[in-house]
Amino acid sequence: MRDWPIKRKLTAIFLLISGLVLVLTSAAFVTYQVVTFRQTMRSNLATRAQILAANSTAALAFANEADAREILSALKYDPHMVAAALYDRDGRVLATYPVAASADLIPAAPQPDGYRFEGARLVGFTPVAQGANQRLGTLYIASDTKAVSDALRLSGIIAIVVLAIALLAAYALAAALQGRISAPILALAETATAASTRQDYSLRAPKFGEDELGTLTDAFNQMLGRIEEQKQELQQHATRLEQRVAERTEELEHRNEALRRNAAELLAANNELDAFAYSVSHDLRAPLRSIDGFSQVLLEDYATQLGDAGRDSLQRVRAASQRMATLIDDLLKLARVTRAEMRTERVDLSGMARDIVVDIQRTTPDRQVEFAIAPGLEAQGDSRLLRVVLDNLLRNGWKYTGKQPQPRVEFAAVDENGGRVFVVRDNGAGFDMRYADKLFGVFQRLHSAAEFEGTGVGLATVRRIITRHGGRIWAEGAVDKGATFYFTL
Amino acid sequence: MALLKAVTVLTSALLFVQSPRASEYQVKAVFLFNFAQFVEWPAVATPDPQMPVIIGILGEDPLGTFLDETVRGERLGLRPFEIRRYRELTDIKACNILFISRSENERVAEILAALGKRPILTVSDGDDFAKRGGMIEFVTDKNRIRLRINLEAAQAANVTISSKLLRVAEIVRTPRR
Repeated sequence: MRDWPIKRKLTAIFLLISGLVLVLTSAAFVTYQVVTFRQTMRSNLATRAQILAANSTAALAFANEADAREILSALKYDPHMVAAALYDRDGRVLATYPVAASADLIPAAPQPDGYRFEGARLVGFTPVAQGANQRLGTLYIASDTKAVSDALRLSGIIAIVVLAIALLAAYALAAALQGRISAPILALAETATAASTRQDYSLRAPKFGEDELGTLTDAFNQMLGRIEEQKQELQQHATRLEQRVAERTEELEHRNEALRRNAAELLAANNELDAFAYSVSHDLRAPLRSIDGFSQVLLEDYATQLGDAGRDSLQRVRAASQRMATLIDDLLKLARVTRAEMRTERVDLSGMARDIVVDIQRTTPDRQVEFAIAPGLEAQGDSRLLRVVLDNLLRNGWKYTGKQPQPRVEFAAVDENGGRVFVVRDNGAGFDMRYADKLFGVFQRLHSAAEFEGTGVGLATVRRIITRHGGRIWAEGAVDKGATFYFTL
Repeated sequence: MALLKAVTVLTSALLFVQSPRASEYQVKAVFLFNFAQFVEWPAVATPDPQMPVIIGILGEDPLGTFLDETVRGERLGLRPFEIRRYRELTDIKACNILFISRSENERVAEILAALGKRPILTVSDGDDFAKRGGMIEFVTDKNRIRLRINLEAAQAANVTISSKLLRVAEIVRTPRR
């Protein structure tokens, strides 16, 4: 019943109540009928017995069996009369009805006066008396109770017919009237379902009256109205947002397009520049070799003819051209770094640094520099290019500690902000932090060549390699306090 | 032999008289008592509502104590019963029911004439009592006691007999002379 539709529930409740009332009423009706009928039957039998008793006084008083029999025989006109008997004063049977009544029909002796139902019979004993106080004997009378069962059956049939008709009427009424309650609820349910499945909040539930269901319908409709308003507002906001996003996207695309164009132009310009630098450097080497070679020939073959001043000048020419060759080599290296293809792999930086240190110490055994290489440093990158990086940084450290009585160069790593930062630190000449941004420029030097030899290309090369690896490089330092280079990969 | 026969007859007669008679007169005593309930006397006969119902016996009393036993403690309305035994006709004063014994069989006409129209219910088991002008006669028929009633005689004496009583009785008339 819990999951029945409201219509059926209401009808069932109506029917249940009216059915209960009807059944109780019918039961009361039948009971009343039967009880009344039994009482009527008892009083009818009593009346009949009293008439018979009054008539049989003389027959009993004067022991006239024939008369007694005749009086009792009047009972034959009532088919419900089963038996009757007259007992005299001493309890002897004077006459019976029917005349040849079997013994089980007639009690052997009179029983106490009164009427009672015995099984399917109503039996009674009534005194026979003439006058007020003279008892002459007893009349016994027995009637069957078919009349009672007939009455019971009849009233039962009436009750069932009435019950059926009344239930039908109740059902019809319930079916007709339940709509007053169920229709608004069903309309509400339908509207709610439609609103939630179709998401159409412009729907309104129809109102049937001003009762509580009417109030509910109003509240529901108001709620739908508010939802609709809010939905429209939301949609407006969404539309505005979309517009703005579209505008921004377009703007960004424009900017991206411009950036792409700039980048392409820059790349082209860079490539051109590299190609130019490469070809110039390459092409410059041949004449430079000629200058150096012929200067050497002059010095060897015509030394005597040149004189001291001439030899000295030629010596200077040779030194300058050799420096220039180194410069050109460095420039070519730098250009190669830019053009070379990257092969990424796991690189053992500590091992690489140790190799470089061994190489440095072998070529310059006269200088004692302390190198501290942290073990187990590794990185992902191109090993050839990373060797160039480490070689440059360690040689720089070695170079700028040249005037230090206890030179020391350190290679280590620190973890900062979740990323690994490699550190190369020396206790050499250092630099002025004001010029820190010039450190990594091509041909930018903070010291003169006389003080520390160099071309000003090394750190520029290092920065290019680091940049190609997607990393960053920066430096800290102070004059005569050493320099520290940090880089990430 | 003859003597023996006489003795036998006498004995059997005695026997016959003894037991059936006893029961017969017992019944008759009850009947006499019952008559009081089916008969009405004129109001003058009972000026006092508590006056006893008097049942008189004229002549030799065959009822013995039966009648006394029957009426003992009984009442008709407020009226108690009283039994009176008369020797002479002149003894009869106030009386409601008069049983005339067989012993007076010869004098019945004389007695009835003497009673005249006095409201006394006359009862007897004498032969043809009713036909001879008596009101109720006991007739023995197949060991049963039946009633014979002379309605005219009763009406003449202003004694009303209930129709119920008449139902169980045989109505006779006094033959016209």
